Amino acid sequence: MLSFLLRRIGSGLALIVVIASLMFVLMNMTGQNVARNIAGQTASEEQVAAKSAELGLDQPVVTRYLDWIGSAIQGDLGSSWFTGQPVTDTIGAKLPVTLSILLVGLLVGTIFSVIIGVAAAVKGGWVDRAVQLLAIIGFALPSFLIALVLAAIFAVKLQIFPAVGYVELAESFSGWAKSITLPAIALAIGAIAATAQQVRGSMIDVLKMDYVRTLRSRGLSARSLLFRHALRNAAPPALTVLSLQFIGLVGGAVVVEKVFGLYGIGTLVFSSSSSGDQPLVLGVVVVMVLIIVLVNLLMDVAYGWLNPKVRV
Amino acid sequence: MRRRLLAAGAVVLALGLAACSGGSSDETTSNGAAESGGTLTLAPIVVAQPWDLKDAGLGNNTIYYQPVYDQLFRLDPKAEVGPNLATEWTYDETLTKLTVTLRDDVTFTDGEAFNAEAVKANLMNTKSGTNEAANQLKSVDSVDVVDEFTATINLNAPDPSLVPNLGSTAGMMASPAAIGTPGLQTTPVGSGPYMMDEANTTIDAKYTFVRNPDYWNTEAFPFDTVVLTPLTDSNAVMNALQAGQVDGALVSDQKNIATLEGAGLNTVQYASGDVSGLYIWDRAGVMVPALGELKVRQAINLAFDRQTIIDTAFGGAGSLSTQLFNPDTAAYDAELNDTYPYDVDEAKKLLAEAGYPDGFELTMPDLSAFSAGAQAAVVEQLAAIGITVNLETVPLDTVINDLLAGKWAASFFQLASFRPWDTIQIQLTPDALWNPLKFEDPTLTDLINQSQLATGADQDALFKEINAYTVEQAWNAPWSAVQSTFAYSDNVQVTTQAFATSPGLYNFSPAS
Repeated sequence: MLSFLLRRIGSGLALIVVIASLMFVLMNMTGQNVARNIAGQTASEEQVAAKSAELGLDQPVVTRYLDWIGSAIQGDLGSSWFTGQPVTDTIGAKLPVTLSILLVGLLVGTIFSVIIGVAAAVKGGWVDRAVQLLAIIGFALPSFLIALVLAAIFAVKLQIFPAVGYVELAESFSGWAKSITLPAIALAIGAIAATAQQVRGSMIDVLKMDYVRTLRSRGLSARSLLFRHALRNAAPPALTVLSLQFIGLVGGAVVVEKVFGLYGIGTLVFSSSSSGDQPLVLGVVVVMVLIIVLVNLLMDVAYGWLNPKVRV
Repeated sequence: MRRRLLAAGAVVLALGLAACSGGSSDETTSNGAAESGGTLTLAPIVVAQPWDLKDAGLGNNTIYYQPVYDQLFRLDPKAEVGPNLATEWTYDETLTKLTVTLRDDVTFTDGEAFNAEAVKANLMNTKSGTNEAANQLKSVDSVDVVDEFTATINLNAPDPSLVPNLGSTAGMMASPAAIGTPGLQTTPVGSGPYMMDEANTTIDAKYTFVRNPDYWNTEAFPFDTVVLTPLTDSNAVMNALQAGQVDGALVSDQKNIATLEGAGLNTVQYASGDVSGLYIWDRAGVMVPALGELKVRQAINLAFDRQTIIDTAFGGAGSLSTQLFNPDTAAYDAELNDTYPYDVDEAKKLLAEAGYPDGFELTMPDLSAFSAGAQAAVVEQLAAIGITVNLETVPLDTVINDLLAGKWAASFFQLASFRPWDTIQIQLTPDALWNPLKFEDPTLTDLINQSQLATGADQDALFKEINAYTVEQAWNAPWSAVQSTFAYSDNVQVTTQAFATSPGLYNFSPAS
C-alpha cells in the first residue's frame, strides 16, 4: 500500500509541475499587454515601460520561468501584479469559500448518488425508470441554470437561504451552512446524476453474481448484503466516475460562485486570467491542481481499501 | 466580467458589459423626514480597486471611496459645487492658480492633522498614478502651502472641470502618514464620515464601514453602518435585490426592471451620461477615404432610424440624440437633434454627390457581444444606403486597446459624456484618448482654446458652438443619450446625482 501511495504522490507532483509550466507558456503566448493594462490607457509609453521593468516583463521568458518555479517550490508564489498582495494570502482568503462548496458538493454528491443508485438497482420498475430519466435531465442541465433556478425558488421566493454572499464558518455555523447550501447543491446535481447511473449499473451487475445469491441463501440480512457486500464491490467504478466529476465541479465553481455572489477561487481565476495577472493565475492553477490531485489520491486510497487488487 | 481593460482612462465605458451609467435628474424618489441610524447595504457592480487614491477609478468605483475619504468640495445632486473640506476657493485672473481655504478642525483617523500640507501630499500622490482620478489632475502642476490652512493649486493650463472634479475622487484626502506606505493599498486611512470595520470586511466580497466618531459633519450621513457587497453578475444583483439582501443596486439590464418592480422594489431612471451610436474614428479618411468626406459622414447620420434602434436594441432606455454632449449640460441643444432625420433617399443622394453612388465597404469590429441589436442595426441600416459593413470577429479583451490604437475606422460604441470640458478633453482635442487617429480640425481647436479661457455664460455659449460644429461636421453618428435605472428597497430613499454613474453615498437616507 505504501509504495502504491508513494507512486501516486510522485505522479501527482509531476502533474502539478507539468501543468504549471504549461500554464506559464500559455500565459506568455496570449500577447496581452499586461503592463499597459495595469498602467491604464492614459499612461505614457515611459510609464508602461517602467511598469514592465518593475514586473520583470523585460526579462527573457526562460529567466522569468526559472525565477517563478524556483520560488514556487519554496512556497512563494509571488505577488499579484494588480493589487500587490502576496498570491498565497489572496488564495488563502478565497480558498475556504470554494472548498466549502466543493467538498460539501462532493459529500452531498456521494451520499445522494449512492442512495439513488442503490434504490434504482434494487427496486427496479418505476423507481428505476424515474431515476434514469432524472439522471439524464440532471446531467444535461448546466450548473449555471440549476443555480439560477435554485436561487429563484429557495432564496427569492421562499427566502429560506440567502441569495448571495458567504458567511465564514468561524462566524456562524448555521450561517455558513445556509450560505453554501444552494451553491453546493447546484454544483452537485450534475455529479449526482452521472454517479448515480454508475452506482445503479454496477449494483445491478453485482447483485446478479453468484456470491450474492450464496450470501442470501445463508440468511444474511438484506441491509448487510446490500451495503457490506454488494456495494463494496460495486463502488470502485462509481468512485472513478466521482473523481472525474470532481474536476468538473471545480470548473462549475466559476459560474456558480458568480451567480451566488461568492468571491472564491472560481471568481478569482476568472478575473485574474482576463486581466492577465500572471502570478495569481499560476498560483490558483497550482492550488487547484493540488486539490484535484489530493482528492484523487483520497479516491485512490478508498479504491485500494475497497479492492485489494489495485494495491499491488 | 469586469475587466480592467474596460476601465479605459477617464472614460467610463458602458457597453452593456460594463454597464456604467450616470445620473442627471435630481428627483427625490420618496418623501418623508429622514431618520438616523440603521444600515445601508449597497451592491456596486464592480469590485473595489486599491485604496491608495493614485490607483482610484471613477464611475462605479467612487462609492467605495466615499465612506472613508472626505473631499475638498461637495457636489449637490445637480453637481453644483459647494464647500466641504475647502470652505472658500478663488481663481486668479489667468485661471491657473486656484487658492483654497481649508477647515481647521479636521483630523484623520490615525491622528494626523488635515491642513495645506495634507492637500499638497494628496493631490501630488493622486496625480502620480495612471487611473481615472489621476487623469483628472492632469492640469495640476504643483501645490503651494500658503499657510497652515491655505493652499494654492498651480495649473499648467486653465481647467474648467478641475473644481467639480475635486468634489469627487480626485479631491479626496487620505492621511499623509499613510501615503506611500504599502498598507494604504489594502487599508484606507482617511477623515471621512466612516471608517472601515476590518473585522467585518472580506476583501472583494464585503466591505463594512462604521461611523467615524470625530467626523465634522455627521448629520449629513444618516446611516450608522454602510455595507458594500460587490455583485458583478446581473443575476446575482437581481436575486439579492428581490431577496432583500441589498438596499440598492444599478440595474444593468433594462429587461429586468418590470420583474424588480413586480417584486416590490422601487426604481428611478436618469440619464446615464453615456452616448451610444456609430463612432467614426477615421474622420480624416486615412484608412477609409470615403469617411474623410463630409457628405459621406452626413449620409451615415441620415441612414439611422434612431428611435427604432433605441426601442429595439436598448429596450427604450434612452432619448434620441445626434450630439456627443450630455443632455444635462449647457452644451446640449435639443434643436440639433433635428439635423439628421431618418432619410434613406437623402442619404443615398449625399453619397452619390460625394462620389460614392454605389456605396463602399467598411470593416468594423463585431461588437455583438455588447449589444447584438445595435450591431445588427449598424449593418442593416448602412446596407440600406449602399454601405457594405464587413464585421470582423475580435477578442473582447483586446478590442478596447485596438480601438484606442486606431485599428478601426468606425464602430458601434458607447462613450461617457459628463461635463462639456470633460467630453472635449476625452473625445475632441487632437491628443484626446478617444480621438484615436488624432484628427485635428483647426476651426474646432480654435473654439476649444477659446472655451478654455472663458468663464460663465461665455464659456457655455462656446461649448454650445463646439457641439453644433461637431454635429454639422458629422464627427460621429450618435443615436441616443442612454438611460440608467437604479433599483432600491423600501428601506431607503434615493436622490439621483448629476454626472455620476450611480447615486453616491450622500444621496441615500432611511425611508421614514
